[in-house]
Amino acid sequence: MKIENTKAQMRKGVLEYCILSVLKDEDAYVAEILDTLKDAKLLVVEGTIYPLLTRLKNVGLLNYRWEESTSGPPRKYYGLTETGKLFLNELNTTWNELQNAVNLVTRKKTTKDE
Amino acid sequence: MNKTVNINLAGIFFHIDEDAYLKLQRYLEAIKRSFTDSQGQSEIISDIEARIAELFSERVKNDKQVIGNKEVDDIISIMGQPEDYLVDDEIFEDEPISSQSRKSAPSKKLFRDTDNSYIGGVASGLGHYLGIDAVWVRLIWLLLAIGSGGTFIFIYILFWVLVPEALTTADKLTMTGEPVNISNIEKKIKDGFETVSDTVSDVAKNVSDSVSGAAKNVSNAAKKVDLKKQTNNIKSSSKTFFDAIGDIIMFFFTVFAKFVGIILLITGASALIALIVGLFSLGVTNIIHIPGMDLIDVANAGNTPIWLVSLLAFFTVGIPFFFLFYLGLKILINNLKSIGNIAKFTLLGIWILSIIGLIIIGIRQASEHAFNEIVVEKQEFYIAPADTLNIKMVHNDTYGSPYRNHQSFKFAHNEKGDKIIYSSDIEIIVKSTTDSLATLNIEKSADGRDYASAIERAKNISYHYKIKENDILLDNYLSTEVKNKFSDQEITVILYLPEGVIVNFNNNTKSFLNYRTYDGNIVSSEYANHFLKVITDDVECLDCPAEMDIDIQNGDNGININEEGINIKVDSSSLRINKNGLKANSSDVKVNIDSNGIQIKSDTN
Repeated sequence: MKIENTKAQMRKGVLEYCILSVLKDEDAYVAEILDTLKDAKLLVVEGTIYPLLTRLKNVGLLNYRWEESTSGPPRKYYGLTETGKLFLNELNTTWNELQNAVNLVTRKKTTKDE
Repeated sequence: MNKTVNINLAGIFFHIDEDAYLKLQRYLEAIKRSFTDSQGQSEIISDIEARIAELFSERVKNDKQVIGNKEVDDIISIMGQPEDYLVDDEIFEDEPISSQSRKSAPSKKLFRDTDNSYIGGVASGLGHYLGIDAVWVRLIWLLLAIGSGGTFIFIYILFWVLVPEALTTADKLTMTGEPVNISNIEKKIKDGFETVSDTVSDVAKNVSDSVSGAAKNVSNAAKKVDLKKQTNNIKSSSKTFFDAIGDIIMFFFTVFAKFVGIILLITGASALIALIVGLFSLGVTNIIHIPGMDLIDVANAGNTPIWLVSLLAFFTVGIPFFFLFYLGLKILINNLKSIGNIAKFTLLGIWILSIIGLIIIGIRQASEHAFNEIVVEKQEFYIAPADTLNIKMVHNDTYGSPYRNHQSFKFAHNEKGDKIIYSSDIEIIVKSTTDSLATLNIEKSADGRDYASAIERAKNISYHYKIKENDILLDNYLSTEVKNKFSDQEITVILYLPEGVIVNFNNNTKSFLNYRTYDGNIVSSEYANHFLKVITDDVECLDCPAEMDIDIQNGDNGININEEGINIKVDSSSLRINKNGLKANSSDVKVNIDSNGIQIKSDTN
């Protein structure tokens, strides 16, 4: 088992959740979503996001609108649909539970180790 | 100095160096291959192109700036390698897929491995696909190519064209993927059974536990829950078990399909090879002379070019076989390149045109026999009523068999050394006449597209005969020049003989005489080699073995003559003559003449 693979798997698992979270408050176009994710070091290369966005859009969690841009091609602004919002809420709960659980487990370990 | 290319990326115009352009193109191609249509391939690609355009725009300071290799490399490092685009569907799949069935799914695809190629990478790609070393595959190709006289080179080229090249890392991974094998499936069934039996024993244990627990009056609520869980477990275990069975059925189905594919492939390929060999040996004969080929040319009375016929036949038969071959290949190889609709419809069009062409040629050939015309040569000659007329066939050594051979022809060279067609399609018909003169009619007949050509061909038949005193000498062959082609040239010799004439047909006329007599033919092949007297509408055989059977009976008395002998009986006396001798019996005396001598017995002595 390669550590790189495990890391990538972990990141990919939460990527969907993070994309939805970025779009929670306001619509954004791809470069903006990318900036947020890259700043958080969740994403190393940009390519990964495109299939994910298309996928989320195809299952009806996201929709998009076109906006003209002065500096380049027209931009796709993504936003959450109603289903997307509900989905995100559920994910939030799950994430919190998961975080607690992981914290619980890992902290126990460390205290034991000490 | 670099050549630049203008590109339109998501509606934005860029100048780009040619090599940078090629790199970008390869990159986008590779990404495209990472996705399937169901994932929204085209949408993803256009999104990516838009992003690349955006990143380029950020880097281009003014309109005149050209995008070079460096910029493209930058973009690629930002966007990531094609592998980074691969979405691990498993994580996101709504229904969890059992990892086992994933393993057994056919993950291997046939690509051309151009990294390890000698020619087109077909052999090394097949090596990966079949899981054997490329060296062996190459060896087999080489042996097949030599063994089949080079026709497998054609198959190789087909593979080269139809099998896609492994361009991206993703392709290369698929190319060397884990094979579907029996051991995987066996393992899976085993696992399935074990899980089921384990769970069953667990449940049994639990049930007994809970029963005993109930007996002990212990609260078993928790265990009930446990039981429920186990039931669920057993359900899911059996589900994986049935999945395994389903997979096995699918596996055998796939094996069967591949088997059918292989059969189609072999049938198609061998038919194509045979056709190509046929095409070359037939079609090229107009240029290269092959002995025996002119036989076909001569039968071809319509003068249709042979190469055209063979080409049309090749297309008519070959195109369906090509599709068969293609179908077989498609069954065997999942990611086969399509030959494209244009190619398919072109082939279909050629096929239909070929069939129409063949039909037209067929009609033309048939129309060559539309007219059958006859040219008659007539000669009268005198023959004294008491004389015997001898009729003989004259055999020419150069022209083969002395027997009649209907509907066939051969080649020979005549005395001048010219090539001629000859045939022995000659028939002799004999009729009686009341004239005092005998007549010899030679009817020459031939087929043709119209009256004139049939007459022309009939006239061009050369046939000779001689009347020498009381002998008629007939050639047993007819001949004509090669340019007249073979179109049912025939000779009918009609002999009108005055009544009372005695005629003898030599034994060699036997096969040229009709096998039976009928109205208008009085001599059949049975009569050959006999002396015949011509009478009104018949002949009388003068030396034929008598077929007599005379039986005159008057009560017990009578005469009986048959092939056994003669038997005469009058009251108590009898006379018997047969091959054993002579035997005469009366009431008083008996006479015996046979191999023992003469014996006379009298009652009185």
